[in-house]
Amino acid sequence: MPRVSLNTPAPDFTLQNFQGETVRLSDFKGQADVLLVFNRTFT
Amino acid sequence: MAQLRQDYAEFEKRQARVVVVGPEDARAFAAYFQANDLPFVGLPDPTASVLKLYGQEVNLFKLGRMPAQVIVDRDGMVRFVHYGHSMADIPENSEVLELLDQINTPVGEK
Repeated sequence: MPRVSLNTPAPDFTLQNFQGETVRLSDFKGQADVLLVFNRTFT
Repeated sequence: MAQLRQDYAEFEKRQARVVVVGPEDARAFAAYFQANDLPFVGLPDPTASVLKLYGQEVNLFKLGRMPAQVIVDRDGMVRFVHYGHSMADIPENSEVLELLDQINTPVGEK
């Protein structure tokens, strides 16, 4: 399974948030640092 | 997730956004985020497209996905990667906040 490597461009992606709005990782570019949290299931 | 919630003000102070990606659907996200008053961006990924893109591991023996955290800086570069080996294997907030401080320290002041 691929893993991301340090100091390389983060793979961009687009998903809808749970409110139904489109969110792209690259939208944050130039705006904010992003902590991506890949969670286990909530339960 | 509760750990991150606790220090959310510190993330805000650093103008960092916390983006949670998980395999649950939007309804499960909404219920969990509302119940726990989470101010994060919540991205349901039921097809696991992004989870796979970033290589989140599924451990069949431990029955579930292992946690992973990635810091992407303002230039879109990966600056920190942590793949957990167990459910409880997540970095401390202090570690993540310190890294954010380092990332945002102009070269020459480090």
